[in-house]
Amino acid sequence: MIAKLARRGAVWLGALALVMLALPLVVTSNFALDICIRVLLFSFIGVAWNLMGGYAKQLSLGHAAYFGLGAYTSTILLIDYDVSPWIGMLAGGVVAALASLPIGALCFRLRGPYFAIATIATAQVLMLLFLKFRDFAWGAEGTTMPNLGDAPLMMQFDGKAPYYYIVLALLALGLAVTWRIERSWVGYYLVAIGEDEDAAEAVGVNAARIKRDIYMISAFLTALAGTFYVQYIYFIDPNTAFSFNVSVEAALVSIVGGIGTLWGPVLGTVLLETTSALLQSWLGSARGGVQLTIYSLILMAVILWRPTGLIGLFTDAWRRIVPAAAKRERATADG
Amino acid sequence: MLTTVTQAVVNGLLIGGIYALVSIGVSLIFGVVKIVNFAQGEFVMIGMYISFFLATTFGVDPLLSLLVSMPALFVVGALMQHFLIRRVLGLGDMPQIFLTFALSLLLLNLALMLFTANYQTVHTAYTDAAIRLGEINVPVAKLIAFVLAMVLSAALWVFLHTTDLGKAMRAAAQNRDVAMLMGINPDRVFAVAVGIALALAGAAGSLLVPFYPVYPMVGQVFVLMAFVAVVLGTLGNITGALIASLMMGVAESLGIQFVGADSGLIVVFVMLLLTLAVRPSGLAGGAR
Repeated sequence: MIAKLARRGAVWLGALALVMLALPLVVTSNFALDICIRVLLFSFIGVAWNLMGGYAKQLSLGHAAYFGLGAYTSTILLIDYDVSPWIGMLAGGVVAALASLPIGALCFRLRGPYFAIATIATAQVLMLLFLKFRDFAWGAEGTTMPNLGDAPLMMQFDGKAPYYYIVLALLALGLAVTWRIERSWVGYYLVAIGEDEDAAEAVGVNAARIKRDIYMISAFLTALAGTFYVQYIYFIDPNTAFSFNVSVEAALVSIVGGIGTLWGPVLGTVLLETTSALLQSWLGSARGGVQLTIYSLILMAVILWRPTGLIGLFTDAWRRIVPAAAKRERATADG
Repeated sequence: MLTTVTQAVVNGLLIGGIYALVSIGVSLIFGVVKIVNFAQGEFVMIGMYISFFLATTFGVDPLLSLLVSMPALFVVGALMQHFLIRRVLGLGDMPQIFLTFALSLLLLNLALMLFTANYQTVHTAYTDAAIRLGEINVPVAKLIAFVLAMVLSAALWVFLHTTDLGKAMRAAAQNRDVAMLMGINPDRVFAVAVGIALALAGAAGSLLVPFYPVYPMVGQVFVLMAFVAVVLGTLGNITGALIASLMMGVAESLGIQFVGADSGLIVVFVMLLLTLAVRPSGLAGGAR
């Protein structure tokens, strides 16, 4: 039974992978491809956030700190030392993972809302520091990336398709890491910490260590997204790299899609980014604030009526349409 | 040198009074309802826009418009408690944090849509006036704001300690279940607490208008200050929040004076992170 379900899952996954790989062959408009890249990028950031925020319920609102560290590390290496962003991306991940240690040591002293506030503070401090370091990181003006033309080794390409494949690979990596963790003992420990940290500690979960480790992984992945993003837009400044919107959207897509689930962040991003793209083509980008107004209304609706997010909505609908599926699921759970 | 320091301390204390109004509100809601209101700053912003429009369309003095902004926001607070917060009580961190967070995003972005991101100012007769005490300049508008902020804080203290409703509120803050057994209606007490907190935020907004620009993002500075003050002053402790707010106003002002114009927030955040490192339970101590 389980083997059969797993096989069906693998078939679906293979089909999805094929569609995603073939997409740039069909979608040739730069505008549409740009939306796809944004969807994949924010799905990836959401997946990275979800490891911490979803499974362990450590609701960070400061993941921009790691996004920014990744972005700045690779850019400084590229411009000052001619190091390829491919290496810079890894270096950024390592810098972010290391930075997560002291940041986590401070912020994990607080729980719940005050943890969230402390993470906001850390991201803001980093942004303000990079605004101040004028000679070290170009200060408030930021800098544009040197345009090297079509240079795959330096993560620069002519068309948008290669960027699409990079971010698709990043998302696949994030999902694979999540899938692996979800099915290991670490995943169960994380959920236990998320449910009730004191109870988890009481039954022998080393909560402090698990939280530290998962925070490092989450920071590492978020930093990769930071490098990718600044390479993609050819520009960096503290307000872009440490944008509070990155922190917010990472949490938002996960919650709207289904917090603490493998595919939740992806579903959430697809819904939010599609809505935002439709709104933009409908209203034009003349009015500021429209996008986040809609996002916040969706977020409120999810919290008040469907805290399990879109995933929960789909599972419920699936059970109602196919009662047999629910029965089979129960049988699987029992057997 | 001494004059510069004294001047910076005076400026810091004066703006610290406004921070106190905002953080006392955050602290009151946290103490009674056990929710962190991420939208508190946006209610300061709404208070500012109320006073701004009353001043520009009807020529009402911003200080007089306190009489409009405070009751209006009290009602908003009671409604917000009844229709929103009440529904997520006891549901865990995620809904409790992200409900008010979503509200904050919503109000901020609605304001952006309605009023655009432009800075707007109100000029009153006392905007540029200052009292000179020896070498020290005391701006009149900030002094009035500070004094009224302290009066309102004192009034809240008297309310909480002498009236039945205030005592009920403190009882509900200490132990909700026992308070209910003693016949206290939590819905009513919570609605009044959130109402008062928002009225204080509205008051802060009206008091700011004579000397502070109005724009949709203005609340973010104040709410961040309030969060730091509430953590520093021990969660849920109103007197602690007041003292911490004044200290932070001074720290920010000294930072601006001696480190650089845009470093005020760095100083405050570093204070927060240092406090967390040394005394996670806040300056006043006591476990959560």
